[in-house]
Amino acid sequence: MEKRQDIVLGLIFVGLGLAAAWMARSYTGASGIYPMTLGLILTLLGGTVAAKAVRSGSDEMRQLVAAPSKMITATVIATVYVAAVVPLGFYTASFLLMLVLPIALGFRQWVYATVVAAIFITVVYLVFSVLLEKPLPREAILLLLAPGG
Amino acid sequence: MDFYVNALGAVLTIGPLVAMIGATLLGVFIGALPGLNPVMAIALLLPLTYSMDPLVALGMVAGIYNGSMYGGAIPAILLRIPGTPASIATTFDGFPMADKGAASKALKIACWSSAVGGIASAIALMTVGPLLARVTLFFGPAEYFWIAMFGMASVGVMVGSDPVKGVMAAVLGLLIGTIGIDNLSGQARFTFDQTWLLGGLDLIVVLVGLYALPPVLQLAEKCDLKGLSAAQLKLSDVPFEPGERRGLFPTWLRSSGIGIGVGILPGAGGNIAAFLSYNAARNASADPDSFGKGNPQGVAAAECGNNADNAASMIPALALGIPGNVVAALVLSALTIHGLQPGPQLFHQNPMLVGGFMMEMLITSILIFAMGGAVATRAFAQFQRLPGVLLVPSILILMCVGVFVINGRPIDLWVMLAAGIAGYFLEKVNVPLAPIILGMILGPMAEQSVRRALLISRGDATELLTRPISAGLAVMTVLVIVWPIAKTLRRRKARREN
Repeated sequence: MEKRQDIVLGLIFVGLGLAAAWMARSYTGASGIYPMTLGLILTLLGGTVAAKAVRSGSDEMRQLVAAPSKMITATVIATVYVAAVVPLGFYTASFLLMLVLPIALGFRQWVYATVVAAIFITVVYLVFSVLLEKPLPREAILLLLAPGG
Repeated sequence: MDFYVNALGAVLTIGPLVAMIGATLLGVFIGALPGLNPVMAIALLLPLTYSMDPLVALGMVAGIYNGSMYGGAIPAILLRIPGTPASIATTFDGFPMADKGAASKALKIACWSSAVGGIASAIALMTVGPLLARVTLFFGPAEYFWIAMFGMASVGVMVGSDPVKGVMAAVLGLLIGTIGIDNLSGQARFTFDQTWLLGGLDLIVVLVGLYALPPVLQLAEKCDLKGLSAAQLKLSDVPFEPGERRGLFPTWLRSSGIGIGVGILPGAGGNIAAFLSYNAARNASADPDSFGKGNPQGVAAAECGNNADNAASMIPALALGIPGNVVAALVLSALTIHGLQPGPQLFHQNPMLVGGFMMEMLITSILIFAMGGAVATRAFAQFQRLPGVLLVPSILILMCVGVFVINGRPIDLWVMLAAGIAGYFLEKVNVPLAPIILGMILGPMAEQSVRRALLISRGDATELLTRPISAGLAVMTVLVIVWPIAKTLRRRKARREN
């Protein structure tokens, strides 16, 4: 058990539970009792986790993130990708992700990454846009290239 | 019997057949790639099944599940890297066999054993499931409420290492399940005046985030820049020697029984089934010392055990609405997508669908014999030449496209991302994710059932405990929660006395 982590975890759940119970006060009748009860139970359980951690004699190391720089890089790029999907278009943003993320993680074979990206994006296009006809965010580049764009 | 004949007729049509064949192949491929697992694959698949026929969707789930449990044996044998957690035990004897130059034979044994385990498990599902469902004809709202409570309590307590954290995760899931408009009163709850929250958080969006993103981040952390060389993946087809299959038969029988037993228990998974089967095979062997050094019986036991868990884990899921493992929880989500309420009433309301799914579990297990052998194994082993670092963006893209097509809302992508990052850290601090999803699935059923029961009894809460079945289920729920606490206290007392 990693004491500090479990104390923080317990307190987060205590906070969540209390917030839920407090918000549920304003809901009418039975629709408020159920979430309020759940909120209070969550508070109790969170408190138990935190109290157990405080009382525990052992404090084993538990790694929260194995490779922080890689994890943060992947998370930030994933966040930027999600933000870019609508303004850039799904396929443009995805193609860029296929190139940028491996390179950011240390992959240095540009040609290999580009070929894999092209094949993968083509397969995704054929499956989702051609076969399943699913509407996806429009490509900004196509709008710019369109007459008058 | 008519139940299965009709279901077989529905399953043996072009749509479900193509889905099963394609998904079994895809499953072997997913299992063969370390970093991908059946849970992630099914989570990614579910958003696509919205517009599909339910039998086609469930056929794909069955194929991916059975296929990937076998596929996990490929890297376990060739590289000593388990493709799925359930194939850890396969590495014990599979890799030493490969090391001695018998990789093809080990893969053949794994393929046959997986198929045998899967078929035995599907037969168990087809015989025990309907019997269990018949009992549920006597259930009312109070019983449904306790079934939901029992399911969450057992999964919360049994999954993960800390029962308190498991139950906490289940309560969090229940709370997430209350977001949106309350069906009975029309009251908006926890919506923060956001219109997109009025319908609640989409189960599949949360599920894809929770289950698919943490492995992607872990894959990024591992940062595998090189795939395998072609020489490492050279395989050929080796036939069984005379009497070799007969020699494996007792192991298959024993491991199938263990896998089925473990599958029925909520919370236990394929990895436990594989370990128990492996130990049982070693204990029963005349030469236990040969285990861990390339004994084919070890490969057969582990692979048969982990596949025998598959369909058996669906027995409590389909009959009672209590998933035996995470994949079973995903199957329940797949049913929810198609407007079906998981739980005891499913057998009575949709016999064709339930029977069809059982048949699909059986057929996809048989397909492993036909397709999982030399050709698929050799073909999919080649994908291990792809560097893991290229899989990271690929899976992210599949997650995003899958989530976006559900409602066409960019906000769902942010919910998925938030759920994924939360899931990554929750897993790291030993909070299991399965109870969260289970809480979201069973929460609405639990709330509506308890409120209906109270309406029927005119507010008399004792009604929840005075009916014989509901009282029995309530006692079982309390026991499930109290048992591990009592065990911990007893152990602590014994330690103090020593």
